[in-house]
Amino acid sequence: MAQQNLDCLGEACPVPLIRTQKALAGLVVGDVLVVEIDHSCAMKNIPEWAGKEGHNFEIEEVADGQWEIVIEKTH
Amino acid sequence: MAEPTPQSASVFAAVRANDTFKALLVNPWTYVTGAVVLAMFNSALLASTGKAWGVTTSFAYWGAWAWEALGGNPRSWLYFNEVKPAFLKLSFFTDPGTLINLGVIVGALLACLLAGQFKIKRLKSNRQIVAAILGGLLMGFGARLAFGCNIGSLFSAIPSMSLHGWVFMPFMFCGAFLGSRLLVKYFM
Repeated sequence: MAQQNLDCLGEACPVPLIRTQKALAGLVVGDVLVVEIDHSCAMKNIPEWAGKEGHNFEIEEVADGQWEIVIEKTH
Repeated sequence: MAEPTPQSASVFAAVRANDTFKALLVNPWTYVTGAVVLAMFNSALLASTGKAWGVTTSFAYWGAWAWEALGGNPRSWLYFNEVKPAFLKLSFFTDPGTLINLGVIVGALLACLLAGQFKIKRLKSNRQIVAAILGGLLMGFGARLAFGCNIGSLFSAIPSMSLHGWVFMPFMFCGAFLGSRLLVKYFM
């Protein structure tokens, strides 16, 4: 079970979502991806996509206007 | 500026934790809520100014005013005489479109501050700067060729029962498709 960080700070839609999709594709089942974002629309579309794909995820507000989305690859 | 006292900080934290405050000002609204509110505001705008919402025509005015300030003579241009003669009678503070654009910027800042999500973002790379400038130029130029952006030529056009909104829509999707391909290929 490995953990990988993905720095998407300063990036706007749709870049964080596409980078998340690519990064998750390179992981194996059980691995965890931590995506750092500061674009509020990515806070909506990344979890939406992860939920649709059936991965486990959690959002945490780490500072004003900055979030971490933790995604566990389930399949 | 005075540091916030622990008491005022806790008051703000309590307000932010309030469910009504959260639902209205922190969490994103649903698309339907947003659509209904936008439709109501656009109707109010049409009733009060006689024109539905548009954004980019005023950008052309801003550019022309800047050019005029530098000594140019945009008032002689065909575009402002034949396409947008309204420009000749307007100034920065009497153009409703300009005031609405400023309102959008101030409103977005206010919404961001109230949600506690204001943050100055860093520029990640020179490539990001090039992408932003290129994208802005393409969108601005395209919006002038089409006599409007997705607001004036789509959002305001279709409810006005104008055919041009329906013509604009498929071509806007073509542009968005090409633009995202370019973004993924060269700027990621």
